[in-house]
Amino acid sequence: MSSIPMDSTSNRRWLLKNSGLGFGYLAFRSLLNSSLADELGPAGGTPSHNPLAPKLPHFAARAKRVVFLFMKGGPSHVDTFDPKPLLDRDDGKPPPFDLPKVVFAAQGNLLKSPWKFRNYGQSGLPVSDLFPNVAKHIDDLCILRSLHGSNPAHGGALLKLHTGSDQFVRPSMGAWVTYGLGTENENLPAFVTICPTLAHGGMNNWGSAFLPAYCHGTPIGNASLPASLANVKHIRNASIPISDQRKQLDFLNAINREHLEANEMDSALQGRLQSFELAFRMQSSMPEVQNIADETQSTMQLYGIDDPMTENFGRQCLMARRFLERGVRFVQVTHSDSEVQWDQHSDLYHGHTKNAAEVDKPIAGFLSDLKARGMLKDTLVLWGGEFGRTPTSQGNGRDHNPHGFSMWMAGGGVKGGFAYGSTDDYGYYAAEDKMHINDLHATLLHLMGIDHELLTYRYAGRDFRLTDVAGQVAKGILT
Amino acid sequence: MSVPIRLTSNVAFRSAKVAHLSRSERQHWATMILLACALVAIASHGLTHAQEPLPGPAEIEFFEKSVRPLLVTHCYECHSGKERNGGLQLDYRDGLLVGGDSGPAIQLGQPEKSLLMQAVHYKNPDLKMPPKAVLSPSDVAILDRWISIGAPDTRVQPSSTQSPGPTGMTVEAGRKFWSMQPVATVALPIVSNTEWVSTPIDRFVLAKLEANQIRPAPNADRRELIRRITFDLTGLPPTTDDVDTFLSDESPNAFDQVIDRLLASPQYGVRWGRHWLDVARYADSNGLDENIAFGNAWRYRDYVVQSFNADKPIDTFITEQLAGDLLANSDRESKTGTGFLVLGAKVLAEPDREKLIMDTVDEQLDTIGKAFLGLTLGCVRCHDHKFDPILQSDYYALAAILKSTRTFGPTNTGAIKHWNEISFASPTERESLKAVNAEIAQHQAALSKAKSAAFTKLRTRVKSMATEYLVAAMSVTPEMPLHEVAAIAEPLGLQPRVLFHCRRFLAYNPDYPLFAKWHELAASSDKAGLESHYRSLFQRAEAALAEAKQKDPKANSLTDPILESARVAINDLTGFLAVPPKPEFAFDVETLQEINTLATKARLVESFAADETSVMGVVDQEVLAGIPIHIRGSHRNLGETIPRNFPKVMGAAGESPILPRKQSGRLELARWITSPSHPLTSRVFVNRLWRWHFGTGLVASTENFGVLGDHPSHPELLDYLARTFIESGWSTKELHRMILRSNTYQMSTMSLDRETATNLDPENRWLWKFPKQRMDAEEIRDSILAVSNLLDMAIGGKSIPLRNRQFVFDHTSIDNTRYDSHRRAAFLPVVRNNVYTLFEQFDFPDPTMPTGSRNTTTVAPQALLMMNSELVMNAAKQIATTLASSSSVNVDRIESLYRMVLGRKPMAMELTRAVAFLEDKGETNSIGSEQQRWILMCHSLLVCNEAIFIN
Repeated sequence: MSSIPMDSTSNRRWLLKNSGLGFGYLAFRSLLNSSLADELGPAGGTPSHNPLAPKLPHFAARAKRVVFLFMKGGPSHVDTFDPKPLLDRDDGKPPPFDLPKVVFAAQGNLLKSPWKFRNYGQSGLPVSDLFPNVAKHIDDLCILRSLHGSNPAHGGALLKLHTGSDQFVRPSMGAWVTYGLGTENENLPAFVTICPTLAHGGMNNWGSAFLPAYCHGTPIGNASLPASLANVKHIRNASIPISDQRKQLDFLNAINREHLEANEMDSALQGRLQSFELAFRMQSSMPEVQNIADETQSTMQLYGIDDPMTENFGRQCLMARRFLERGVRFVQVTHSDSEVQWDQHSDLYHGHTKNAAEVDKPIAGFLSDLKARGMLKDTLVLWGGEFGRTPTSQGNGRDHNPHGFSMWMAGGGVKGGFAYGSTDDYGYYAAEDKMHINDLHATLLHLMGIDHELLTYRYAGRDFRLTDVAGQVAKGILT
Repeated sequence: MSVPIRLTSNVAFRSAKVAHLSRSERQHWATMILLACALVAIASHGLTHAQEPLPGPAEIEFFEKSVRPLLVTHCYECHSGKERNGGLQLDYRDGLLVGGDSGPAIQLGQPEKSLLMQAVHYKNPDLKMPPKAVLSPSDVAILDRWISIGAPDTRVQPSSTQSPGPTGMTVEAGRKFWSMQPVATVALPIVSNTEWVSTPIDRFVLAKLEANQIRPAPNADRRELIRRITFDLTGLPPTTDDVDTFLSDESPNAFDQVIDRLLASPQYGVRWGRHWLDVARYADSNGLDENIAFGNAWRYRDYVVQSFNADKPIDTFITEQLAGDLLANSDRESKTGTGFLVLGAKVLAEPDREKLIMDTVDEQLDTIGKAFLGLTLGCVRCHDHKFDPILQSDYYALAAILKSTRTFGPTNTGAIKHWNEISFASPTERESLKAVNAEIAQHQAALSKAKSAAFTKLRTRVKSMATEYLVAAMSVTPEMPLHEVAAIAEPLGLQPRVLFHCRRFLAYNPDYPLFAKWHELAASSDKAGLESHYRSLFQRAEAALAEAKQKDPKANSLTDPILESARVAINDLTGFLAVPPKPEFAFDVETLQEINTLATKARLVESFAADETSVMGVVDQEVLAGIPIHIRGSHRNLGETIPRNFPKVMGAAGESPILPRKQSGRLELARWITSPSHPLTSRVFVNRLWRWHFGTGLVASTENFGVLGDHPSHPELLDYLARTFIESGWSTKELHRMILRSNTYQMSTMSLDRETATNLDPENRWLWKFPKQRMDAEEIRDSILAVSNLLDMAIGGKSIPLRNRQFVFDHTSIDNTRYDSHRRAAFLPVVRNNVYTLFEQFDFPDPTMPTGSRNTTTVAPQALLMMNSELVMNAAKQIATTLASSSSVNVDRIESLYRMVLGRKPMAMELTRAVAFLEDKGETNSIGSEQQRWILMCHSLLVCNEAIFIN
């Protein structure tokens, strides 16, 4: 294994940029002619031909893989994981604190949570009645109660959360992790995103921007499709049976080999020849991961796939487990729908009830399953939205609140049954142990064994990082 | 102007605005004024601590016991040693006194005027320290006391951490950097193999090769040449006629004629205009946060295509894009050019307008820098350039020009701000648009009316069956999955999700008084009792309300508390009878279908509705003489005001432009950029042209001619081309001719001295052979359609099927954009955040960043697309059909196929292989039909390497 790329020779950089085969790169390596392999040169003292080969982290990693359960729209923290007794007490009163300088819309008075909080587990941490099933895992959860971001609009906040920048197109966190660590399965992408939303940043939220193309996330379907129909684009040819296609490929290979011999064994031509074989293999390897038919009835029930309410998200979570199991480094699962997602400007009660009911059981099942398979200890699970919601009202809903909100982590090296940081008495602003989105990124990379200040890529005359010029690791949450 | 006066005027200017600001904004300005005063104090008094008495033992003890540990614990992580966030170091006394980017951290004896105290008080939303959590009141008191007694401190700056000073290049050193020096007049190099020299370009290339004892590659085969130049100039394959004509033309100027024919073809502008659109980060939608359609961007795109076809002088082309609205003879065409400044991706829903404007200015400066000057100006927003000789003051001097320019109009749609457009609509057109808008509004109203009517109908029905829901809820448990609930609900005519919710509501609200009876009776399974209790209750409540309304028609509540609570519960939209907010969950199939039909209709009516004839473009607005430096790039932390100007390194020392007081200065900026004496503009442009012909620029980093950019492989050639280009009147077509006529361009991709050359120059930067190139995404797609005779060659016109500012993607994530048009790829919609898959796979550039040099990657999904996409399948079927009707002889058909797709006849061996494939002998699982075999063979030829790579 080579070490994380920090700096590299121009040849190596050129090859990374131009000849990345994406997933399935390992097989390509054997076809490289020796002169090109020599050109690559040793990186960190070890010859490295494959940019996606697993790389050693900067230091011992606590987590080998990440799964991000993204709740699009902004779930309310004061109604889920951050109870505020003073909000109950002062329900209906004007907020006794200054509102931020820039707000979207006029805000009403304080609005108490319509849900009860109960204490769970040995830690006794409170969770609202929106998440009775996830709550049973409380002793494995590390609740981050002091998140804050910089953008109050969905688009900006999604981009900030996924890429660290709300102003420019920058590589997404999955792309950075892929760039830093490579992948453990050569026949699958290193980074997949299941049913992502195409709004508010769209593919930039899983894009590689200026990082090499192999770092790009592979979308499986999108938020407008049910998970059961989600697929990688062009994964099958409906009008050519697979055996015919095999013959066609043999014919094509013969043409391409001949052309290659007449053209000085050009490496780009070789790479393309091989890419057809890899694509052909992917046609069976991807559907195999996505096909959950071989799962047991009890697993299906565990994820709620037997219930129309939870079927969709359950299927997404189960697919995620199958990808993680097979060595995919970064998996994102998006909970979104064709309406307003978690964005309850109005009708908080219904919207959040429906949303939570769709994800609560699948997430709990997913955590149980990871644990039962011994995967939770080195898988980092991250849950949350692009921001939280205001403790003040907007009609019978709540507005966006990037100034203080909650996310949670589980598994991979974080303290379970632990609440980190806090918001103020009413839940408007992050107060103690504040954790900016940049800090979240620094912490996530740290858990993966990556120093966020060292994982850089030079582009347009600058060394870029996921955390730009900021970011501190929240050491308090580490085991 | 001395510093204090400048600051005073700044304060006065700000004060005039204070009256209009909100409370918190006023606080902010107060802070700024305070900061300005603090700076005045420093400027006039300097650092006074040199004359201070040394601290006494008690003061030192106070510092050591109380202050130092506090600073170490809470501040050192970011402000000590090599950590100097915000430029501030707090681990030695001068670090506090000199301060960071925002000025001194403390004012001796004046805690109330010290930024440090402001920060720890946590009152200023933009300055709260420590960032993680506010200090305890006792810690704040310690710091307050410490500053009031003159901040006694024993710490001195450790020599190892002394400030490294500016890391970038000085302006003086910068003027000597190669790209900043004037374009040289270069002599043509002497070469020995003069026979090989066809245009001056060849001398420069050959000189380098001869110096390294490498022979240039022989001339390319004529068949390769016609294919190479036709793709190069038009992005299309040569027709079989084109090939035959050229091969049979034995006149010495046969190739010149091809050059002239192709440069005169309107398809030339499509290909080369598209190159420029990469640089202009062209797109048909905003992308970024709110992806709405740039419904008029296509007019800029067509302007670019026409400009290339007309060989518009590039200095004019650049000037129009920067200041087409300010030209004396400004017209619709030149104003359309200013779309260049508006096309960037913007955070349209950014609620902080000042941030939005400065972010937009930044995007414009970054684009101008990269597109015209090969400079990364975006790096200078927050600090002087780390490498290049560009100062932060240079950035704000340019920013002042762009801030005097209007990129955003005054209107908005909700949170979404509108970019500026210049309208060319006649009064009649405006009048007719009113009717169009009314029609759109009417369809949208019909949709929302239908939705709310359906909800009302459902609610009324549910309310009328309140008792039935409560009775049925007895048979349901809160944990029961939805499909089991449905099995109970449906036979009773109840809506499953309402019942599902009703049961959970009862479980989650065990203390709700109205339902105490429900829990009691449900526990004893007393269905009849439960039914009669609630039926009577709801009936009484209804009757009571009817009665109350008879007395007072406005009555909407009841006096009896029990009946009133029943009335409230039934009408509570979030109560036990709540209906799902999502139409898919609420309505039956017919209702849903009706709503979806109306929604589609409303969307389509809007998508295809006429738009106002207008262009994206800028105009001048209130002219600012200068703007303050934004410390660390923050618009809330302002420093010294910088007057409008151009970067110092590219002007003679002491030279300052005269900018008109009543105009933004964009026209002068354009004149300065296109001045023949500007060292960068012509170099950057000719280098782009070279890159687009040869696949690599003479300077490989086409957007970066700075210190971190690449050095030119042939510096003299670059200057020769730049100078000749200017002398030709900035003519692109003349430059093409010089390049295309050269032997350098006409070399084969197969070299004579492969081994030596590869060792000396593995990347072929010296051009010992012509570089083989994979086609661009557009060429791949257009050639597939061209050889299958499906391509529509029409030029120009709107292509995004959306009305201006209509959402490409809203919450639904449904992709309504189609790419099945057979127009040339340059006229397919460019949707940011969701670029057409074929484009995305084949290295189409990110349309938010200027790109002069696309990548060439090989990834497996490309192969999936080639194997399985409809585009390629349809083309293969089309060719197979054409071949079937052309001849009944397989060998003839195969020959036609090779000529159509690859522009050549098949070799004997290829014929044999193709025939064998068609006969499909000696194997099991034979391919079904002969027709299918033909399709697969055509398909294979379309996607083979020879079809995708250009020799």
